[in-house]
Amino acid sequence: MLRLEDVRFAYSHAADAPRFRFDMGVEPGTIAGVIGASGTGKSTLLDLIAGFQTPQAGRVVIDGEQVTGLPPAQRPVSILFQNHNLFEHLSALENVVLGLAPRRRPTAADKETAAAALARVGLAGFEDHPALNLSGGQAQRVALARTLARRSRVLLLDEPFSALDEDNRADLTPLVRAAVTEHGGAGVLVTHDLNDCERLADRILEIRDGQLHEVG
Amino acid sequence: MTWLHKTLLAAAFATTTTMAATAEGGKRELIIYTYDAFAADWGPAPGVKAEFEKVCDCELTFVTADSSIGALRKVQLEGEATPADIVLGLDTNIAEVARATGLFAEHGADLSALSVPIEWNDEVFAPFDYSYLAFVYNTEKLETVPGSFEELAALPEDVKIIIQDPRSSTPGLGLVLWVKQAYGERAGEIWRALAPRVLTVTKSWSDAYGLFLKGEAELVLSYTTSPAYHRIAESDQRFAAAMFAEGHHLQVEVAAIVKSTDQPELARQFMAFMLTDAFQDIIPTTNWTYPAIETANGLPEGFDPPVAADKALIMDGADVEANRKAWIEEWRAALSQ
Amino acid sequence: MTVRPIRIHASVLPGIAVAAMLLLLAAALLAELAVRATGLTLAFDRELARIVAFTTMQAALSTVLSLVVGIALAWSLAHQQRFPGRGLLIAMFSAALVLPTLIVVLGLVSVLGRSGWAGDLYNAVTGRSPGFSIYGLSGILIAHTYLNASFVVRTLVNRLEAVPPENRKLAHGLGLSAWRRFRLVDWPACAPSVRGLAVTIFLLCFTSFAIVLVLGGSPRYNTLEVAIYEAVRFEFDLGRALALALVQLAVCAALVAFVGGLRATGRSIHGAATMFAHLQGPAVNRLQRTIIIAAAIAFALPLIATLIDGSRAEFSRLLAEPVFARAALTSVLIAIVSAAIVVTGSVAMALTRRQFTLANRWADARGSPLAALAMSYSASLYLVFPALVLGLGFFLLARRLGGPADLWAVAALITANVTLALPFAVAVLVPTAERAAARYDRLAVSLGLAWSTRWRAIEWPLMRADIGYVAALALCLSLGDLGVIALFGTQDFTTLPWLMYQKIGAYRTADAAGVALILLSLVLATFIFVPRLFSGARHAAP
Repeated sequence: MLRLEDVRFAYSHAADAPRFRFDMGVEPGTIAGVIGASGTGKSTLLDLIAGFQTPQAGRVVIDGEQVTGLPPAQRPVSILFQNHNLFEHLSALENVVLGLAPRRRPTAADKETAAAALARVGLAGFEDHPALNLSGGQAQRVALARTLARRSRVLLLDEPFSALDEDNRADLTPLVRAAVTEHGGAGVLVTHDLNDCERLADRILEIRDGQLHEVG
Repeated sequence: MTWLHKTLLAAAFATTTTMAATAEGGKRELIIYTYDAFAADWGPAPGVKAEFEKVCDCELTFVTADSSIGALRKVQLEGEATPADIVLGLDTNIAEVARATGLFAEHGADLSALSVPIEWNDEVFAPFDYSYLAFVYNTEKLETVPGSFEELAALPEDVKIIIQDPRSSTPGLGLVLWVKQAYGERAGEIWRALAPRVLTVTKSWSDAYGLFLKGEAELVLSYTTSPAYHRIAESDQRFAAAMFAEGHHLQVEVAAIVKSTDQPELARQFMAFMLTDAFQDIIPTTNWTYPAIETANGLPEGFDPPVAADKALIMDGADVEANRKAWIEEWRAALSQ
Repeated sequence: MTVRPIRIHASVLPGIAVAAMLLLLAAALLAELAVRATGLTLAFDRELARIVAFTTMQAALSTVLSLVVGIALAWSLAHQQRFPGRGLLIAMFSAALVLPTLIVVLGLVSVLGRSGWAGDLYNAVTGRSPGFSIYGLSGILIAHTYLNASFVVRTLVNRLEAVPPENRKLAHGLGLSAWRRFRLVDWPACAPSVRGLAVTIFLLCFTSFAIVLVLGGSPRYNTLEVAIYEAVRFEFDLGRALALALVQLAVCAALVAFVGGLRATGRSIHGAATMFAHLQGPAVNRLQRTIIIAAAIAFALPLIATLIDGSRAEFSRLLAEPVFARAALTSVLIAIVSAAIVVTGSVAMALTRRQFTLANRWADARGSPLAALAMSYSASLYLVFPALVLGLGFFLLARRLGGPADLWAVAALITANVTLALPFAVAVLVPTAERAAARYDRLAVSLGLAWSTRWRAIEWPLMRADIGYVAALALCLSLGDLGVIALFGTQDFTTLPWLMYQKIGAYRTADAAGVALILLSLVLATFIFVPRLFSGARHAAP
């Protein structure tokens, strides 16, 4: 489903610049958890999958198709960050709709889909709420509603629960899993928190010395 | 706060040295308010100070305002308590305004040596120099030199002039009076004909002359003596003043004693000194105007002789005061179309 | 959503004190004038209505143009982080704002005037004379845009760089078009600052005097300041001058009231700039680089003209003149004192102002809209206060209170310089201070940080780059200001811009151009080096 084949990357040619070499595969309907302390390359891994960085060598493959050189927008990928997931001055509904119609005028159907997604994450009635005024947990739910509605093949999770309390984490776990498994996509979670990893991921890897290693 | 205080004092100190020095010597001090170009290092003031202090056993101090009108307003605001003994540099167009304030005393000087283009027997204001307004041009750039306002208006489309605003500038006001004197009722018509020639109207003479020297316009409103500066100080022969058949607006600069002076005797001594060769010989090449008396040395080489007296246009100060607003409005309306 | 209010009492006082002092000063100056005047004499004639209408129109157009140019340029510069000479360019854009008006006007005329380079080039290429003239409304707008767009650029580049990278990644990940990326990511980051910028620029253009006259080309283009000038100088009608000043105050105050009381929004803050130029697509990158190059040429040419003109001066003689040394020393001393006051005052005002604009601080408290307004007014004092009236009021105050005239002249000049720089300083610092509070208030309060610790840990690191810019701006505005000292004039008190005007006034244009060159070099050096003092060894201008 998602494969990184001998993907090599370094931020500069300097001799002491960290070098990365990633090999991994994620099966449909599963989430791979990647754990590591900060600065080990977790975000670099996601940037390479999403297309914010281009590898110096190797291939990124999604659904059997090479996406290595494609810009982020042309990859079937959605991302959920720790925070700043929303455009602050748009309403909750507009944020979700934007994910459905990023390059065209939204239709009535888009709005219905978006409203349904919001209802699903427990935010029915919050459609016109400005994103700026949402709490941290509510903002994450809106962002999740957007990824649910987009039905992207690959969902990248960048410390999605780190800013949330335990209740929110428990509530959101099945929704995040649903976003990945419902239509047979793949998920990659990066976090420093082993608990989050165990809660969400089907298997766990660790980044060490710029490479991925299977844990347990 | 102490640091700030010190710096403030240091900055202030740099400016108070003159004042302190005058107080120390125990000499009498004569304070003259004037416009900044007169008091500048390259203006007449340093020479005048040196010459007068030779004969007066006193200290001469110049206090500058941005213009002669500014100097007058300063005295007015200070009222009776003004430290000024003399105001120097008012021109005839605002002398009436100054007289009306009642702040000035009779000068008591002998005016018989005067050689200004008009008869002068004013007991309050004594002239020390004069000049004529004129349009100055670059001889290498202007092909047809206009000989009157009408010829100026008839110049080709791409010939432009720069003038000054009569509401903010003395020569600007002089020009409005000049046209009025030369054309009377027809002044509005002349201004409408001149309008297409006017490139821009500046706040001050400096702005206008700066633009002219940059080559922005073919002619600029200035003085008949302007070319002499370029000839004498810069050995630059390119500039000349266009002589107009209508005559030229005469601007006489005067000085007057402030009534509340604490040095009336010294002030009268200065007024008399003002009309001697020692003072007058300094004027042409520092103030770039004509001296108010014929000195033994005559005009310096490179100075054009003054416009013939019958071509000197001067307006009565009372007339100026009575009509200034209406004439400026006529000017504004004509140029705004 | 309700957030528990966070009310930090101590930081309200300094800003309130600064604001109160400024407003008191303004009131005192106006009162002095009123005492001397025999009463308000103002005929609300058609001419006055016409002047106000024209001035409003010209200021509004200038503001819009400055913002459009400034935003386009800031957007380009923010996204092209690796553009060669970027830091130097930003320093250069800042220089335009603070130069004496006449230098800017003569520089622009060198390029766009009748015998300017642009016309010569056009003529050489096409063999025809260009139909364009800089004299008229177009000249006024060009000069105002030239002066103010630079300020917009410097302020907005910082805002754009503070956008969280997640937002940019999100926009690129969704594949939003360049226009929608601008609308959804860049514009919201700029918007809170744009409001303050717009007011500042509008007021600056509304009270612009020399430019409107020199480049207006006709008495049709007039300003209230000219009318005030006429009333004071020729008519000595202090009542009319006061009345005109009050008209100007009223128009400007209405505008400040309209905009100044608004609440702050937006709370994103981020440290280093993360841009994705490589994802923008070649067309957008090309557009941004073209905008930068075009602006660099447009902004540099008038400055280059100033340098060329100035290089013809006889520096060995000019520098040896005692009056030059005196003017330079006075200018630099006064600039340093003014800048120190501006930095202290504007930081105090920025830290206080946020109390009244942030929802979780005192914005809901009784009297807070009034306090916010008072802060806005006091910060905009110079912009709404005609310079001539300021100088006159000070002079009268000096006469009433006594003391050495020279000390008063210094005080008046420093006050003018400080009040001139304050609106810019406050416009730069307030958004940063607001963001710092919005982001870290809760943390700081929960940790129980003392205000000094809080300043060191939060405000100083987040604001230091902006404070450095404010210091440079204040220094340069003081260096370039002509001042209000005309009435105080003494033989020895002179500053560099004053010396320059005196030189032109005495036909000495080469000397004046030399002084202009020295001023320009001082200003550029200040903008390059002073911010460095504040940002450590990190990077140059921004």
